[in-house]
Amino acid sequence: MPTAKKTAAAQALAEFSDFSLKMARGQQMLQRLKDEDVQIATADKEVVFRQDKVTLYRYKATAKASLKVPVLVAYGQIGRYTMTDLQEDRSMLRNLLALGVDVYAVDWGNPTRSDRWLAFEDYVDGYLNECVEFICSEHRLSAINLLGICEGGVFSLCYAALYPDRVKNLILTITPVDFHQDQAEGRANHGLLNLWTRGLGADDIDRLIEANGNLPGELMSYVFAQMTPGATLSKYNVGLLDTFDDEKKLLNFLRMEKWIADRPHHPGEAAKQLLVNLYKNNELIRGQFRLAGRTVNLADIKVPVLNVFAKDDHIIPPKTTQALRAAVGTKDYTEIGLDGGHVGVFVSGKSQGILGKGIHDWLRKRD
Amino acid sequence: MSEAPNTWADSWATSQQALMQAMFPILPPGVASATGAPGALQEQFAELRGTWQESIEKWTELVKQGPKAAPITPEALRTLFAPDRWSGTGAGAFDAGLRQVLEGPKYAMLFDLDRKLLALRQLASQRDKDVASFQAILLQAWNTAFARFSSSIAATKDQAPATWRDMADRWLAVVNDTLIEAQRTEAFVEAQRKMLRSASDHRLQERKIAEAWCDAFHVPTRTEMDEMQRTVAELRRQLRALERANGPRPPAASHPTASQPRKRLAAKKSHASVRS
Repeated sequence: MPTAKKTAAAQALAEFSDFSLKMARGQQMLQRLKDEDVQIATADKEVVFRQDKVTLYRYKATAKASLKVPVLVAYGQIGRYTMTDLQEDRSMLRNLLALGVDVYAVDWGNPTRSDRWLAFEDYVDGYLNECVEFICSEHRLSAINLLGICEGGVFSLCYAALYPDRVKNLILTITPVDFHQDQAEGRANHGLLNLWTRGLGADDIDRLIEANGNLPGELMSYVFAQMTPGATLSKYNVGLLDTFDDEKKLLNFLRMEKWIADRPHHPGEAAKQLLVNLYKNNELIRGQFRLAGRTVNLADIKVPVLNVFAKDDHIIPPKTTQALRAAVGTKDYTEIGLDGGHVGVFVSGKSQGILGKGIHDWLRKRD
Repeated sequence: MSEAPNTWADSWATSQQALMQAMFPILPPGVASATGAPGALQEQFAELRGTWQESIEKWTELVKQGPKAAPITPEALRTLFAPDRWSGTGAGAFDAGLRQVLEGPKYAMLFDLDRKLLALRQLASQRDKDVASFQAILLQAWNTAFARFSSSIAATKDQAPATWRDMADRWLAVVNDTLIEAQRTEAFVEAQRKMLRSASDHRLQERKIAEAWCDAFHVPTRTEMDEMQRTVAELRRQLRALERANGPRPPAASHPTASQPRKRLAAKKSHASVRS
């Protein structure tokens, strides 16, 4: 009997009954599930290079090679690369592998207090450069395809500008470039991180890093949760309840939670550069960002650039990344704007057929 | 043999009187001297002597009112200038630093710790105050959200949510928008800044106290470890710069080839582990 035709009392009873049934079903599912059912980043891979806490993986091919030049995926320090392979049917890496792309990914590891002095230059000139050199050497290539994600996109931009001979094609996803364009579209929920960071004094950030050694992962988790208050408030009640209809949905939910909970600390000096030099002073787009005595000039990037962004990205609002078009020194610049939010680019069902294919097709034309 | 004076004050008064008597022979006023000097001059001298004597007596009284010092006896002087007093430990201000190193913290330093703890309490109080101010802004936003939600329900009575879920969704939408609105205000941004700052200050003060104990018990401090790690990070940077300066990597092939077989990479793993 349709809900609308029921009396108010009958409707309330039916609703209560459905709710109770759902709760009981969810409880059963949660009891059945074990930790091994909630694994993330399970695509087959091998360690090919290690330095300090940094690990370079090469993923095992699942299809015939379609590109000559491999792709190195570089995530940032806020969150972990495992988001690119959250689960079998939501995995940018698996999608690329299925299209015949040779994929490498760098895992920065879990920084501790002893890593507090690591700065952007250590990641760009050091670890990322070592990974690129390793791949170039292994494949006897002079340059590779570099795919940067979020802060990893900033690393990749710096690298491409400082080591132009080592990058054949540059792909950026959800990457901030102009940190002051957060309100260019006037959307209230966009760019809160930019606003809050600008509200801090450089000395506040210094004290924060001095006190904690690093930018604590817990703090960033709190900040991200605060940026979407509605979603945060409903996640463990109505959100979780919605997944009790279907075990697959519940597993998706739990895998996402696992990724969110695995938030590493951000090395202190690099965090200061991110927050002060980039977020506050906007030095990257102004051509003032300096690494180890060299200025990162985005105009030095003359290789083809693909910039992928999310149209409703509240963390990296579209205009903050689209500013790249005018800054790079190449005319071969392409944008792909995907529906959804920051992480949705990688994990939403809708983007699965678009992101991997978009990257592959673009690369194939430039292989 | 006269008895030795007991105190420095006695000694000083006695010596002053002796000096005065030597300079002014004791004659009654108005009596000419044996040398036949005019009486007026004698009188002037006598007057001068009397004044000086009064002055000496006043000074003597004053000195006697001061703290009783140890008598400057020949014995005392011998002790004072004995070589072992000058070469040994504990001679006074000169070796206070050395004494502190040898004997460890002094009682006064305990109060230094008290001061640090007091500062910590003050910073904890400041932090709690800043957290409360921050929460007050959020609470106000929650109240606003509730008021907006109530009025929106009242205004759309005909389209009131039919199920608890519809109701929850509407509430969440209102609270989401209202909280974001509040989070964009200057008051929120400043309250958040202050909260973060006072939390950092409190944590750094905790570190000061921990480091004082580390120092006392020969445990490396956080600051020392940080300094050491900084040195290591800087040395590594220098090493990388030197490697770069020593020339480019071996040239790669000019023509890209398709991905290499995995066997080759597996062989490289040992090289990789050497570098780790």
